[in-house]
Amino acid sequence: MRPEHWLYTIPLRLRSLFRWGQADQELDDELRDHLERKTEEYVAQGMAPEEARRRARLDLGGIEQTKERCRDARRVNWIQDFLQDLHVGLRMLRKSPGFTAVAIITLALGIGANTAIFSIVNAVLLRPLPFPEPDRLVRIAFNEPGLGLRDVPFSVPELEDLRNRAGVFNDVSTIASASENLTGAGHPERLEFMVTHPNYFSMLGATPQIGRLFGPQDLALGFAPVAVISDGLWRRSYSADPNVIGRIVRLDNDPYTIVGVLPPGFRHPGPTVSGNVEVFQTAGFSGDPAPPPARGTRFMPAAIGRLKPGLTLEQAQARLTAMAIEIRQDYATDYPEQAQWTIEIQPLQEALVGNVRPMLLVLLGAVILIVFIVSLNIANLLLARASGRQQEMAVRSALGASGSRMIRQMLTESMLLSVIGGAAGVLATVGTLGLIQRLVPSNIPRLNEVRISWTVLAFALTISVLTGLAFGLAPALHSAKTALSSAIREGARGSGFGNKTGRLRDALIVSELAFAVVLMVGAGLLLRTLRDLLQENPGFNPTQVVAANLSLPEPNDPKMDPYLSVAQQTTFDRELLRRMRSIPGIQLAAITSHLPTSDLRLSDAQAINALAIEDRPVESSLDLRAERIRISADYFKVMQAPLLRGRFFTEGDEDGKQPVVIIDETTARKYWPTRDPLGRRVRFGADLTKPPMTVVGIVKDIKNDGLDIDGIPHIYVPVYQSPARDLSIVLRTSLQAKVLEPQIRHEIQSIDPGLPAFNVSSMNDVVGRSLATRRFSADLVGGFAGLALLLASIGIYGLLAYTVGQRAREIGVRMALGARRWDVLKLILGKGVVLAGVGIVVGVIFSAATASLMASLLYGVHPHDLLVFLAVPLLLFAVAVLASYLPARRAAKVDPIVALREA
Amino acid sequence: MLVSVTEDMRMSKPSDLVQGTLDMLLLKILALEPKNGFAVSQRLKQVSGDVLQVSDGSLYPALHKLEQEGWITAEWKTSEYGRRAKYYSLTRLGRRQLEKEAHNWGRLSSAISRVIKRKEA
Repeated sequence: MRPEHWLYTIPLRLRSLFRWGQADQELDDELRDHLERKTEEYVAQGMAPEEARRRARLDLGGIEQTKERCRDARRVNWIQDFLQDLHVGLRMLRKSPGFTAVAIITLALGIGANTAIFSIVNAVLLRPLPFPEPDRLVRIAFNEPGLGLRDVPFSVPELEDLRNRAGVFNDVSTIASASENLTGAGHPERLEFMVTHPNYFSMLGATPQIGRLFGPQDLALGFAPVAVISDGLWRRSYSADPNVIGRIVRLDNDPYTIVGVLPPGFRHPGPTVSGNVEVFQTAGFSGDPAPPPARGTRFMPAAIGRLKPGLTLEQAQARLTAMAIEIRQDYATDYPEQAQWTIEIQPLQEALVGNVRPMLLVLLGAVILIVFIVSLNIANLLLARASGRQQEMAVRSALGASGSRMIRQMLTESMLLSVIGGAAGVLATVGTLGLIQRLVPSNIPRLNEVRISWTVLAFALTISVLTGLAFGLAPALHSAKTALSSAIREGARGSGFGNKTGRLRDALIVSELAFAVVLMVGAGLLLRTLRDLLQENPGFNPTQVVAANLSLPEPNDPKMDPYLSVAQQTTFDRELLRRMRSIPGIQLAAITSHLPTSDLRLSDAQAINALAIEDRPVESSLDLRAERIRISADYFKVMQAPLLRGRFFTEGDEDGKQPVVIIDETTARKYWPTRDPLGRRVRFGADLTKPPMTVVGIVKDIKNDGLDIDGIPHIYVPVYQSPARDLSIVLRTSLQAKVLEPQIRHEIQSIDPGLPAFNVSSMNDVVGRSLATRRFSADLVGGFAGLALLLASIGIYGLLAYTVGQRAREIGVRMALGARRWDVLKLILGKGVVLAGVGIVVGVIFSAATASLMASLLYGVHPHDLLVFLAVPLLLFAVAVLASYLPARRAAKVDPIVALREA
Repeated sequence: MLVSVTEDMRMSKPSDLVQGTLDMLLLKILALEPKNGFAVSQRLKQVSGDVLQVSDGSLYPALHKLEQEGWITAEWKTSEYGRRAKYYSLTRLGRRQLEKEAHNWGRLSSAISRVIKRKEA
């Protein structure tokens, strides 16, 4: 349109919009003037005045309709219509508060659930990492596919290859996280720290809140004496003191100068040991305490890098794969052929959230199914209501409403419902977001980024509008079609909609039931997995066991280390156990380096140690690996883990005596399938100077690595022979963890006041926490499935109750003609049974086709688990029959005389 | 033309008028002098010799549409009968539109008549 055009039209539009009354008055005047003159003309032609007026009116067509078409010519009429529709819609909703309440509550639930889950999915999966050019950030992993190992450690020369030889990275930094004891700021505290190269922060594009981050001046062979702390630690331990820069903090007894504080939003983008990284340190990994660099000295756990601009992931990967092959050829002695050592990169975001993606997607799928079911349910209710409004629609069309106008009216009403429901849902989500975040298991990364952003609001609005359209369209189209002609004549006597609506409603119910089946099958599979895991024998008895963690400091400066020698550590361990046993109510106490089901490991390959078995050729020993767990003598007694053969450790299994190990069944089966392992000798690592250790006992498998992880061989060694600094204490007692906590802490700190005790909790809680993610998703999907069951039964009940109401007269006639009550009952019940049957069959087929998508979330349960696939249809069928029985009984109670007279 | 309340609205449009032609006729009629709706309907009947049946029910929506397009403008004046009536007159845009449509129509009708004549020959 040309500007000149707008000159004319814009004032007109504004006038039609804001002076609507005046424009309408003028339209009235204009048409009345026309009618009068036309009448005069006909009179002049000799017609009787009455006849002339009639003819003039007929010439004009339906006056109201002509007016409406003139109004339509004003382009802004739709705004007017919309306001009017809104008004009418609100009135209609107020007129049937029961329907409105049910619709809005179910919608609020559906849309609220969607908004909540989407806000999590958006923050965790969709939003790019909060760093500049996040798509260039990658996680670098070193794998040995030949041995089935991923994420093996790497050496300094290998890191140098990434930097200098590969040519695909701008920056590479090692990331090594662990926890250490913080002293020198309030009471001793255990916190997570991370050691990186000095380029870590500049690679991520982070800026300090105060002070500075690491830079080239921090280059050192070993640890640089500086630390950067998180906003959280700064606020917690230093009361947000701006003069914290320059203060000395003692980490595992070593002094570091605080040089900077990170901004509140900064999170290390990767899996961490227990939560947020609070202290960052920087090191060159090439000098004390690190061993001198050598290609085969692999101790660095993980690395991240920033790709050069313009390089795709595939190109970079291809280059790295080629380089790995070159390196293997160049240094053949450091890379055994069968390991097939290689380098793999993965987008950092994927590496961060990869393991929660399936769960979040299943949750998103579940809430979307819920919205489908809610929509179908409301569509059904609306269709039933629409039949009552047939006459209203007919009158409207007679008064000049066009078909599209009536569809708009109906859609406005359903949109009104969905937007009110959506707004209620979003408000509920905003109100409960804090609660939701607490319910979400904390091992899901990036939870701190979850918020109701514009994206989330846009999603909620889209879902609301789509549901409004979905449940409004069918009834709207239907009303518009049937409203005309017949309705006025049939009017109140209407026999409802014909077969067509009936079929539409049947189809809606069938889809609703089918969706409910899918949701219930999903929930069934997840709940069954959870139940199986809860019933799974962990190999120990977690009841009446309290556990606590503590860690001995590991200073870089040996002079600062009170636990340097095996003897020093053994002394500490013995004193610790003596003091623990002295606490009243403690029956037994033991130490372990790995608390079962508490996953402190960062990757499989790092926890599982290479193993050598005597009288086996070295070549074939490469794939011999076992997880080494250090324990004290009474460990298996505390855990009530049964000994199969041989003996437990004793207090006498200490340094200087014969080195001994106890193996579990998996190890025995795997490495001595045909021979007796007792008395055989093994060795960890390739160091042949260490004395071999003799197998003295076999215990039943303990689920050390999680209830859902099997098949990892474990070898237990006495903690006095192979000391560990990261320890868990396990105590057999009937006392509560909370009661014991102060005593445990007191006893530990009376040995060494710098030692924090942390994570004091019952073993049952530890096991429970390991299932938190599964429990969360199973409970949530289970809740949604329950809701789906409820909605589906409301749906089928509503449909049949409505049918009975509509067919009361027919039923009366049938009964007058001799039908028995049983026949009537059968008629209605039969319809319910058929609908439920079809819906359930469709749902089962659909579930069977999609269940394997959930396979990665299941444990010990087949995606096509027979029990679930039988129980769900049966349950739903039973509920559907019950929901059908109520209206059927009402139908059977119809009094033929009353029905016929009333009808 | 008789329009029943239950019939579809579209029925009351002059089915034998080429879409858009009514607009052109109305513009042409108003090009001479400002007229009110009634006068336009009479004039339409008069000039087309009853061939073009345009019901009053179609006339007013069409006039309102032209007004909204900015091709004609309306003002309330006292008519010769002493009544206030709405008078439509052509705008500059409308005049340009009329020229364009008349030109198109001329081309179209001459083309069609050429085709028709050739067939007869």
